[in-house]
Amino acid sequence: MRILIVDDEPVNRFLLSHMLEENGFTDCHEAEDGEQGLAMAEELVPDIVLLDVVMPGMSGHEVAPKLKALQTDIYLPIIFITALDDEESLVKCLSVGGDDFVGKPFNKTILSAKLKAHARIRMLSKRAYKQNLELQFHQQHIEREHAIVEHIFSNVLTLNQRLAKYIDSHLAPASNFNGDMLLIERSPGAGLYILLGDFTGHGLASAIGALPVTRAFQTMAEKGISVGEMAETLNKTLLDFLPDGMFFAAAIIEVNENGRTLDIWNGGLPHLILFDSQGKIKKRFESAHMALGILDPEDFENDVVRFEADYDDQVLGYTDGVIELSNDDGVMLSEEGLEQWVESVPGVSTAQLMQKIEQYRAVGEQDDDISMFIYKAQELGLKKQIATLPEAPFQLSVSVGYTQFARANPVSEIIDLLSGQAAFHGLRSNIFTVISELYNNALDHGILKLDSELKTSPDGFMEYFSQREERISNLSEGHIKVSVEYSVEPPQLHFTVHDSGDGFDTSTIKSEVDSDENYGRGVALVNELCDHFEYQQNGTVAVAKFLIDQDCW
Amino acid sequence: MSLERVLSSDGKTLTIVLDDKFDFSKVQEFRDTYSDDIDRVDTVVVDLGNTEYMDSSALGMLLNMQKTLKEQVSEFQIVNSRPSVAKILQISRFDKKFTIK
Repeated sequence: MRILIVDDEPVNRFLLSHMLEENGFTDCHEAEDGEQGLAMAEELVPDIVLLDVVMPGMSGHEVAPKLKALQTDIYLPIIFITALDDEESLVKCLSVGGDDFVGKPFNKTILSAKLKAHARIRMLSKRAYKQNLELQFHQQHIEREHAIVEHIFSNVLTLNQRLAKYIDSHLAPASNFNGDMLLIERSPGAGLYILLGDFTGHGLASAIGALPVTRAFQTMAEKGISVGEMAETLNKTLLDFLPDGMFFAAAIIEVNENGRTLDIWNGGLPHLILFDSQGKIKKRFESAHMALGILDPEDFENDVVRFEADYDDQVLGYTDGVIELSNDDGVMLSEEGLEQWVESVPGVSTAQLMQKIEQYRAVGEQDDDISMFIYKAQELGLKKQIATLPEAPFQLSVSVGYTQFARANPVSEIIDLLSGQAAFHGLRSNIFTVISELYNNALDHGILKLDSELKTSPDGFMEYFSQREERISNLSEGHIKVSVEYSVEPPQLHFTVHDSGDGFDTSTIKSEVDSDENYGRGVALVNELCDHFEYQQNGTVAVAKFLIDQDCW
Repeated sequence: MSLERVLSSDGKTLTIVLDDKFDFSKVQEFRDTYSDDIDRVDTVVVDLGNTEYMDSSALGMLLNMQKTLKEQVSEFQIVNSRPSVAKILQISRFDKKFTIK
């Protein structure tokens, strides 16, 4: 405890110092007048000041407020030393900022008791100050972290701007960290996906799940995954990382290319309402499932409700915050209340619903997250093919030597390599069929010289495949090269399968698609599935071309 | 095990569930699904719900199965085909020989 004594009388200073020392206050400093007192106070930062009232120069009354001003954050006790005992001067001591006074001559016991009392308050004040600083630090820290998370959220959760025009929506901004989310993406098939969801709880903890959900939703939308499968995947994702007791009520809607065929999966959200332009309710899509992130994958049901809406029908989705809000009498709005609004205002918008909500809601009630959207069935006018095509041409090839024929699967390798490009997703099943056909022909006939007619009878069919294995194991030469070339103008994939065999008379190829035989369908299929196909170089080279345009999706 | 074989409780319906790829690599496995334990089977259901990739050897395998079993099985079904697979079945006019659902 550091004490500063300000008194012009050397005797008083000596007496006080001495008394204090005897009471264990050993860190004492003395100033001869007010000015020196202030200078020392600034330098030493005392814990208590003993201040004489009557001094030459600045009086104690003048010094006291200046001392207080030096330490505004922490309480600095100032005890006046005074021989005056009239009411007026004592009141003056306190009114200029003093906290107490001791009379002259000094009473050692009282002085010590007062110092100890003020020392206690000083300590409390110091501790409070320190805690305050820590609080401020933590608050700034949290604010900074929130700012970072907000930044990420606002980037991730911004409604896809190009698609926002298709829905009318109202939801609290993501910066509030609410647990509600609304997403819209286009499908490769020129339709839309809409997801409205509500995590249990509020605040940052509940909002954190929004990130993986958003990413997974966008990826699946890009691939054109069905609504049921989307729900299944999201369920599994959330099950893996959400803590017990936290889950995600959601509705996922796929709008078909035509803008009015709806596939809806609803797990745990209040029923979606579909109404016509007169406000007449045509269909309710009840929650048919548990919310996401609860059920084990084997118990999960992904069945979906399909509905053919008419143009200008509207479908309204909303979170439970809407129907659970109460009026002044504590009565909740409920689904029925919301439906009455929908029916009373034909072609209602979310803005109109929000107005109703503001009127209905009890004054001053802090609302739950309120989110809703309305999709009006309309011609979407979206173009198919969402993925951007590669900008630059590329080539890749897989070569299989005779020792590798038994195990190598170049067709799958090519498919895996091409699957990295979202633009080719819609084509990959066809590509598989075509190059599988060409590769197997090259191997079976070009290299192994097997006779397809063997396949006519069931036993021969199996015999064919055992001969195939046998011949492969007896090979001492031969290879097949499968190449893919992607070119940009116009976008197309060009497949070449080249075998080292002797070739064959290409005119003998059977190619009736509806043949009764167990063989001979391959080339016909290839012709149907790609845009151009031909054998070259006596049948040792097969060339197939796929144009990449919207019709391939 | 990539192929699944399910016999109904009355032993009359054999369901064969294929995986994502139905091509010549499945020849033996596919044959095995209908080689034994089919005494009472009169309906065969081939479930292609998981199948994304298929080529003409798969078509051959399906027809071969039909030829093998036609004495005892009266109904051959192909179910749950995805669009790309359905297209191949349609191009190949498989609806003439199989009930496609």
